[in-house]
Amino acid sequence: MTLALRLGWRNLFRNKRRTLIAGLAIGVGLASLIFTDALMQGMVAQMIKSATAAYLGEGEIHRRGFRLTQEPGLTIHDAAGVEARLEKDPDVEAFAPRAESFGMITSAAEARSVMIVGVDPSRERLLSQVDDNIRQGAFFEGSGERDIVIGNALAEILGVEPGDRIVATVSQAGSGVLAQDMFRVSGIYRFGIKEMDEGFAFVRLAKAQDMLGIGRGINEIALKFRDIRFATRKDNPFWTAYSTGGNEAVSWAVLLPQLRDALGLFWISLAFMAAILFGIVAFGIINTLFMSLYERMFEFGVLRAVGTRSAGVRRLIIFEAGALAALSIAMGLVLGLVLTLVVARTGVNYSGIEFAGTTFSEPLTPVLQVRQLVVYPLATFLFTLLVALYPARVAGRLRIADALRKSL
Amino acid sequence: MNTVEEPLIVTEGLKKDYREGGVVVPAVRGIDLRIGAGEFTVIVGPSGSGKTTFLNLISGLDSPTAGKVWLRNRPVSDMSGDALSDFRRDHIGFVFQAYNLIPVLTVRENIEYILLLQGVPDDERAAWVAGILKEIGMEGFERRFPPRISGGQQQRVAIARAMVSKPELILADEPTANLDSETGSELLDMMRGLNRRTGMTFLFSTHDRMVMERADRVITLHDGRIAKDEWSRRT
Repeated sequence: MTLALRLGWRNLFRNKRRTLIAGLAIGVGLASLIFTDALMQGMVAQMIKSATAAYLGEGEIHRRGFRLTQEPGLTIHDAAGVEARLEKDPDVEAFAPRAESFGMITSAAEARSVMIVGVDPSRERLLSQVDDNIRQGAFFEGSGERDIVIGNALAEILGVEPGDRIVATVSQAGSGVLAQDMFRVSGIYRFGIKEMDEGFAFVRLAKAQDMLGIGRGINEIALKFRDIRFATRKDNPFWTAYSTGGNEAVSWAVLLPQLRDALGLFWISLAFMAAILFGIVAFGIINTLFMSLYERMFEFGVLRAVGTRSAGVRRLIIFEAGALAALSIAMGLVLGLVLTLVVARTGVNYSGIEFAGTTFSEPLTPVLQVRQLVVYPLATFLFTLLVALYPARVAGRLRIADALRKSL
Repeated sequence: MNTVEEPLIVTEGLKKDYREGGVVVPAVRGIDLRIGAGEFTVIVGPSGSGKTTFLNLISGLDSPTAGKVWLRNRPVSDMSGDALSDFRRDHIGFVFQAYNLIPVLTVRENIEYILLLQGVPDDERAAWVAGILKEIGMEGFERRFPPRISGGQQQRVAIARAMVSKPELILADEPTANLDSETGSELLDMMRGLNRRTGMTFLFSTHDRMVMERADRVITLHDGRIAKDEWSRRT
C-alpha cells in the first residue's frame, strides 16, 4: 500500500508542467467555488439585512390572525409579559413594539392611503433604520405628541415639508368609527425603496393607540437578533416559545416568502455552477490520467507482467488521482483564500442596486466559513477519485501483450 | 541430440493467430517443445518469426488460439485473471530489452517490488534485496533512481528484479540489445553464472551472437514454426 502511495505521488512529478496545469485547472475550479459561495453568503446576508434592518426586523410577534387581517383590534396577548421575556432573552439584541393600521393622510393639496405606525422612538431607533435615513427634520426629538415622520415620496405627493400640518384618519378597532387627528411633519426620511418612502407614516405609539382605541395594546413587536442567521436556524425553538397565548412569532422567511424563495434560487444556481465546474474538472482529470496512462503504457505492461494484479494497477491510478487531488486542493485553497480575503477587504460595490425586492445599501463582501474550506475540498477529493475510476478501469483491463508489444 | 528428462516448460500444438483488418495472420503455427529445468536456452529467428509471441504464450502474457502450455506441470494456458498474475509473480522473472525499471522507484524499491507483492516480511525482504544487490555488484546504489545510473547498471537491476523472488524461469527479451558489447558480455556472463549456481532456467529471445555462444540450446523459429533445435557441444 505504501509503495503504491509513493508511486502515485512520485508519478505526479514526472511531467511537472502537465501536473501543474491539471492541478491549476482543478484548483481554480475549487477556488471559484469557495469564492462564489463566500460571495453568495455575503450577498444573502446583505439582502436579509437590507430587507429586515430597514423596518421589518428579523422576526415579528403578532396576535394570531393580525398578519392576514391587519385588524388593529388584534393586539398581542400579554404584551408586557412578552416584552419582559424579550428583555431577558440572550439571543435578542433589540425589539420594538408597534401599533399599526392602514389609514388616510391628508394635506392641503392631496390625500394618500398609507400604513400608519405608532412607534416607541427610543426602541425603534435600535431596530429600524428610519432614524438613520432622515433627510429633513428629525426622528421624534423632544416630546411633541403630534409629530409625524413620513417618507420623501409621500411628502412630495402631499406637497409638505417639515413643520407643515397634515391630518391622519384611521378607523378605530372594533367599532370602525373614524378617528382623526392633526399632526405636524417633524421628519422626512428617504430609503430609496418606493414602498417605504411612499407607504408609511410614523407617529408616537401612545398617539396611535389612542386613535385606534386599543388602550395600551400593541399589534406588533419587531425583533433583531444578535446573529442574523439566528432567525432562519433550523428547528429554532424561539418561534414556538413565543407563539403562545394566541400570539404567533415568525421569522423574516415567513414574512418575506418571495425573498426566501429568491435566496433558495441562489443556492440552486450555486449547485448548478458547482455541477458545471465539477464537469469541467472531471474532463481535466480524465484527460490527465489518460495521457499519463498512454505515455506509460509499457510501464503498466511491465507491472502487470511481473505479477501486479489488475486491481493493483487500478489502485495505482486511483492513488495517482488522489495525489493529484491533494496537490490541486492545496493550490485551490490558497487561491480561494487569497481571492476571498482580498475581495473581503475591498468589497464589491452594488450599493443602490435592487434585487429580489431588496436594495443593497453597502458594498458586498464575501463571508468565509469553515464549511467552504472543508466541504468543497473534500468533495473535490472524492469527486477526483470517483472520476479516476474510469481510467483506472481501462488500466486494469490492458492487454499485457499489447502494452509490451515492443518487447516480450 | 539431447533429450529433456525433467521438462520445466512443455508446449503442445501451440498456435496463435492475430486478426489484422479482418485478415487472420498466424504468428505461431503449432509448436511442440520441452525445455528442461536449469537450461540456458536461446530462441532466435528473423523478425516476424514468432519469437516474441512464443515467449508471451509461455509466460501467460497472451493466450493461445490453440494448444497448451505447462510450466512445471501447471497449465499456464488455462489460467486467467489473478491466478495467472500470481503465477507469473511467483514462478517467472522478466528481463526486458529496454530495462524498463520504474523510474520513480529507487533501485532498492524496484527490486523489492515483487517481494512486496508476495507479502515477504520487511526483514526477510531487506536481506534478500541486500543479497541480490551484492550478487549483481550493485551495493551502494540502493537509493539511486534508474535515470541516474548507466544502461548496464539498469539492466543489472532489471536482472536482480527478475531473480529476487527466486523464480523457476527467467524470460529475457533481447537483454543485450541496448548495451555495448563489453557490458553485454559482462551481463551474459553474470546470468550464465547465476544459472549455473542457482539452477534457474533462462529462456532468451535474441539476435545477439554473444548470447547464442553461451547458450546450452539454440532454437530457431521461422514463420512461427521450429526450424532448428540445436544443443551446444558443451552440453
